[in-house]
Amino acid sequence: MQKLGMRQMKKKQSGTITSILADGELGRRIRDMGLVPGTKIQIMGRAPLFDPVALRAMGFTLTLRNNEANYIVVEVEEEK
Amino acid sequence: MNATIALAGNPNSGKTTLFNELTGARQHVGNYPGVTVEKKTGTYTINELKVTIVDLPGTYSLTAYSLEEVVARDFLVREKPGVVVNIIDASNLERNLYLTLQFMELGLPVCIALNMMDVAKNRGIKIDINKLSKLLGVPVIATIARNGKGKKELMDAAANINTNRAKTSPLDISYGDDIDNAIAEMEPLISNATFLTQTYPTRWIALKYIENDEQIQALGDSKNPGVSAKLKKITDRVSSHISKTLNTYPEAVIADHRYGHIRSIIRQDVITYQQDQSRLQLSDKIDQVVTNRFAGPLIMVAIIFSLYQFTFS
Repeated sequence: MQKLGMRQMKKKQSGTITSILADGELGRRIRDMGLVPGTKIQIMGRAPLFDPVALRAMGFTLTLRNNEANYIVVEVEEEK
Repeated sequence: MNATIALAGNPNSGKTTLFNELTGARQHVGNYPGVTVEKKTGTYTINELKVTIVDLPGTYSLTAYSLEEVVARDFLVREKPGVVVNIIDASNLERNLYLTLQFMELGLPVCIALNMMDVAKNRGIKIDINKLSKLLGVPVIATIARNGKGKKELMDAAANINTNRAKTSPLDISYGDDIDNAIAEMEPLISNATFLTQTYPTRWIALKYIENDEQIQALGDSKNPGVSAKLKKITDRVSSHISKTLNTYPEAVIADHRYGHIRSIIRQDVITYQQDQSRLQLSDKIDQVVTNRFAGPLIMVAIIFSLYQFTFS
């Protein structure tokens, strides 16, 4: 098990959110979307210039800018 | 007798579709005083009872960060609608219930319209409505806003809440020891000074102070600076304690506990998935092709070129 910022995650990697480092409006917005510690996510892909990043959580796809994804720490599952 | 029903929910959960379905052409579009957020009201008649239906702006939560949220929140606490019909996208239950929980924290009379049941069914999501209703303690009605299915049952349930006017007490969940203790410390301060208690529930005021809600804090400052300062002092103490011990913010802890509460409800077999959830929907599949790193730009150029050809030749 390895902890990574969401920006470092590769396509198709999945993991569980361990913490959200953002505060204020951004932090709240991220939490409103259901990204709280314990939520399982998977990286769906990145746009041609590697930003934004699309991820899947709780049955829906969400897209974040990389500088927003930076605040999200994920415990990555081992590749099978 | 007159009654007001407010339609509230996440963006894209089908509020406006349901609103149009209910009110037809009998609606009036205006603005909330002083802000440019559209206010739509219409009327509907249930067994001789004429109700005014208000379509609130779609929000994900009830904080004071965006104009829509402030407008929705102010309407709910000031106008005190007889019933809040919370429209929920059944295919995104967990995220949508986050807002529901916040309505319940405010002690509003909530009735849930579980919308897009057809979409959820297609995705293989089965929801035990009776169980959800029992666990949440509010009526839940399945609807399909697109074809008006369930709207009569929904309005009957809403009218029922409205006529009974049973006093709904604010939802009281635990936010963890640190915050619970701070709330317990704040509550007597608030209720003894009748600090904003005419408009808001006591526990909710305490919660908003801990969440650092600017609107409530400013309101408190203008009403009673003394009590407000005491509450802020408790807030600061909790914040620094939480940032030292947990390296996070009180708002984050509160959000975690809200989601925890929702998950504890959902895990009691409320949802059953009949197919793999990582399966992609059709729109996701289209996205995979048109947003492909190489194919995407090519498809875009091809579309723009054909538009150009179509227009000029």
